Amino acid sequence: MQQYILRRVLLNLVVIYFVATLVFLLLRIDTNYVVTQRAGQTQSTDQRDPDAAKRLVRKDLGLDKPILQQYWIYLGDLAQLDLGESFQAKDDVMEEIGNRLGPSLELGLLQIMVALVVAVPIGIVSAIRQDSIVDYVLRFVSIAFLGIPVFVLAVFVLRGSAIWLNYTPPLTTYKDLFPFPPFETGRGVDIWTNLQIMFMPALVGGLGTGAIIMRFLRSQMLEVMRQDYVRTAWAKGLRERVVILRHALKNALIPVLTVVGLLLGTIVSGNVILESIFNVPGIGLWVVNAIGNLDYPVVQGVVLVVAVTLVFVNLMVDITYAWLDPRIRYG
Amino acid sequence: MQAEDQQAQPVVIAAPQEWTLPKRPSVAANLWKFTRRKPLGAFGMLIVITMLAMTLGTPKTAFGAPELPSRPLGFELGKPWLARYDAEAIFRDANTGRIARYNEPSATHWLGTDKGGRDTYSRMVFAARRSLFIGLWALMFATVVGTAVGVVSAYFRGWLDTIVQRIMDAFQAFPALLILILLVSLRPPSLTILAFGLGFVGVTSVQRIVRGVVLSTREQPFVEAARVIGATDLRTMVFHILPNIMAPIIVVFSIGLGAVILAEAALAFIAPQRVPQDPSWGIMLQQTRDAIPPFPPFASFTILEGKPEGYHTLAAGGAIALAVLGFNLAGDALRDVLDPRLRVG
Repeated sequence: MQQYILRRVLLNLVVIYFVATLVFLLLRIDTNYVVTQRAGQTQSTDQRDPDAAKRLVRKDLGLDKPILQQYWIYLGDLAQLDLGESFQAKDDVMEEIGNRLGPSLELGLLQIMVALVVAVPIGIVSAIRQDSIVDYVLRFVSIAFLGIPVFVLAVFVLRGSAIWLNYTPPLTTYKDLFPFPPFETGRGVDIWTNLQIMFMPALVGGLGTGAIIMRFLRSQMLEVMRQDYVRTAWAKGLRERVVILRHALKNALIPVLTVVGLLLGTIVSGNVILESIFNVPGIGLWVVNAIGNLDYPVVQGVVLVVAVTLVFVNLMVDITYAWLDPRIRYG
Repeated sequence: MQAEDQQAQPVVIAAPQEWTLPKRPSVAANLWKFTRRKPLGAFGMLIVITMLAMTLGTPKTAFGAPELPSRPLGFELGKPWLARYDAEAIFRDANTGRIARYNEPSATHWLGTDKGGRDTYSRMVFAARRSLFIGLWALMFATVVGTAVGVVSAYFRGWLDTIVQRIMDAFQAFPALLILILLVSLRPPSLTILAFGLGFVGVTSVQRIVRGVVLSTREQPFVEAARVIGATDLRTMVFHILPNIMAPIIVVFSIGLGAVILAEAALAFIAPQRVPQDPSWGIMLQQTRDAIPPFPPFASFTILEGKPEGYHTLAAGGAIALAVLGFNLAGDALRDVLDPRLRVG
């Protein structure tokens, strides 16, 4: 097992190297366009020289050097966890990502929680009452939630609450919402504001994810319920609750974990949309605003950090999987 | 005499009953059977066919440079048949002469008008064409590249496979939407770069599925036979392996279409300034989102009451949801029919 983890970590490092190289190459597909666009938004140092702004941007992006030297500097900065600073606010990108990680992580975890809380009971009921009216209704609802994209549902929810309930979530910054790491202000977490911000996006995102998990859990439960040991459990007279929760569910949940792991990438993407719709001050909202301003260092930094995080989270999921199911042995 | 007789009247052997092939079920019968077996799939097909009908239009000019989507396959298309007006036609109130903003649905405007006084229904139809052609081009790219990578990687295995798969892992580590946002912000907005970006994101999942299928196909006797008679690697891959993995490729294509259309709408929704400004469901939805002031909390929104831009939201959102639902249902049904063991995504 230790050997397996070691090998996976080493392979992941290779993958991360490829990820970094890919981002480097992507940003250099069409440097002329990038520089021209960006220069249009920069205050030129010299009004008489139209190319001054372009030269400034080139220098800022480090594009004035030979490409191999650029690559070397880029890798060196990455090794020191230096992602540069944003164009617009001149924030240190790494620090800003750290500050905004809190709300994004919270939203992601809440989404998974909502998804599991909704999907597990429904999946169980739908499986043990297979082909009943309840099953059909629940399955239809889950297909409907699979079909409705998360941003469509989000807009409907936001508009609905604004029109009929006269309510929209408040606007905040991450400093009030989630002081992580703790700021010098000494203010604690404003739980009420936090809940107001997180409630709608977590619900909307969680229902979409929950529909996928529910369908998967249902088929797993149907599979497990046919196993011999479940029949034995019935035969020795255990109560229904014990048979289903202790014998069947425990085993049906293990593959569901893999699906949750695979969904993490989807959840990150979904978070970008949800954060920008509901104004959650996390990484996603920041990146969407950065795109509007063509703030390339921000986009590049966020893409890198998120990709690296996903690579290692997937490793964690695999390890947890082996830990939960002792039959799985990684060579 | 006798011989003549015999010639005149040959011994009549009872004619063997003519073999009649069992009658082929007609197309209608097949369709009916499919509908009975997969009602949801048939419903999905219906939506897909409706969407196809929406995109049809009269060819305008001769062949030109292929540009998406007004010129699919070289034809420049005019107004789609189902669209009532041009996409950019602006309507004015007959009495006041002002631009008809957010009109309610009526006989002249079936789904009302949008913020700029343009017909929502017509824009929905134009947007359907854009979604479909972007989807087709993107998936064509993803399928061709993904299949090539998957087949080569699985056929040669060994160190080539290891390296290719690690690179694919790197592609897959990116959350799709983020990399799409980055891609479209690197070039001037165009449908071509959009379709390419969407296809680029899809390559990994296509190649993963294809690779899995080829790994089992290459062990089959006919591949071995091809190798024994001296077929080159290229010939084996193109003429022996490829035709035998067509079913999974078709399934991947059809299921991917829904995902790509969804991704295009999501991208247009989240970064409307980075995509071409033709009618698009994502942009339509985004326009009405901005009609909501996000603050202050608990403020009264009486100003919104009686403003029917809700129909606009409903039309755009409903169109996206229906299209995605239709393509998913149709794709799932197609998978069940063609290759039930295949697990996609």
